[in-house]
Amino acid sequence: MIEFKNVNKWFDKLHVLNDINLKIPKGEVLVICGPSGSGKSTLIRCINRLEKIQQGQIIVNDTPVHDKSTNLTKLRAEIGFVFQQFHLYPHMTVLQNVMLAPVNVKKIAKTKAEKIALEKLEQVGLTEKSGAYPAQLSGGQQQRVAIARGLVMSPEIMLFDEPTSALDPEMIGEVLDVMVNLVSEGMTMCVVTHEMGFAKKVADRVLFMDEGKIVETGTPGEFFDNPQTDRASEFISKILTH
Amino acid sequence: MLVDFNFRVILEYLPLFLTGLRSTFFIAIVSIALALITGIIACSCRISGIKFIKYPAIAYIEIVRSTPLLVQIYFLYFGLPTLGLKIPEIQTGILALMLNSGAYMAEIIRAGINSVDEGQIEAGISSGLNYVQRMRLIILPQALGVTIPPLLGQNIVLVKDSALLSLISVMELTRCGQTMTSERFMPTEAFLTVAFFYMCIYFCLKALADWSQRKLIFREAY
Repeated sequence: MIEFKNVNKWFDKLHVLNDINLKIPKGEVLVICGPSGSGKSTLIRCINRLEKIQQGQIIVNDTPVHDKSTNLTKLRAEIGFVFQQFHLYPHMTVLQNVMLAPVNVKKIAKTKAEKIALEKLEQVGLTEKSGAYPAQLSGGQQQRVAIARGLVMSPEIMLFDEPTSALDPEMIGEVLDVMVNLVSEGMTMCVVTHEMGFAKKVADRVLFMDEGKIVETGTPGEFFDNPQTDRASEFISKILTH
Repeated sequence: MLVDFNFRVILEYLPLFLTGLRSTFFIAIVSIALALITGIIACSCRISGIKFIKYPAIAYIEIVRSTPLLVQIYFLYFGLPTLGLKIPEIQTGILALMLNSGAYMAEIIRAGINSVDEGQIEAGISSGLNYVQRMRLIILPQALGVTIPPLLGQNIVLVKDSALLSLISVMELTRCGQTMTSERFMPTEAFLTVAFFYMCIYFCLKALADWSQRKLIFREAY
């Protein structure tokens, strides 16, 4: 479903993605972890072309993402993206936030879009907040709205860029619960996170990155209990003992 | 000091001042409207990725901002006729104010657009919204809030700058004061009256600014 072929990317001289080869089959839940600056956010941001790559190819559903002729609107409609900082539109209500893309990108009639949007808000447990503005919500609620905003386009893939890193500890759970529910629906997901509980519970595969390279991949069990590389075991011991 | 004031003369010249006030008001309204349009166009060109329209916009903005308004007014006043364009002084004046204020407004609008968080744009991109949709639905509504106060400040500057048109013999407020001074030699009375009328316009604009701020800016409810 998603395939990286010899992908290289530089920010000026910094080699931020170094010869990435990766296949993510349909329905897989992939957790990406690694120290900050290792390129994990950049990796998923390349999938919907928020970032450009200089070498190699990324293919999503047989579509070469970084090809000039690619219909980006269509591609991006199939990929939901959730940001660390939520990035809800502050001048719109929760419902307007969720409805915006279906009405303007998919050209769905407003009444129908509203119905779909309310369904998605129900899925994240926020129906009663549909008339509120983002600033009136807690961080956890805002992130759940952001997930609903991604889901409303009925994407086949959801990308999460550190979805719980900007949240108070007691709000992390409610966001992870929504994500776990998505897993049970068979959504293909790439999640950049350090939530090891989440990874152990639902991830099919964990990918460990450092300095722009994929250092190690494995099932959560293999990776956390028996890491193959020194770099990975050092990283795991640090996040477990902090 | 007030006992030395000759209010009778002011009263006598009131019809002239009211003509001047009307003229200044007319110049201000027309110039503001045209400057806003100029500013929006110049800003659109300035932020465009197309070099062919971006660089002329930069040149225009920088030239206007680096030269005095009076020089620009004289340049148009004396320069346009040599190009074969003979237009009335008042239109030359409005043209000068429009071009001058338009450049400043372009920069104000650009600052407003740039103030919108990059993440908002990325969220729009990820949802599949195109450039025009992102501008219309996400960026401009948020930029409007931060743009309106400085934009109205610029309009107030424009009204006061319109006094310079007296130097190309446009019969506006300041020119009326000059007329009264030269006819009666009572500069204190004359320019105090002129100042009073400018203040009236200022407070009208300020009231408009406060009203529009309440009406137009979305309020984040806390």
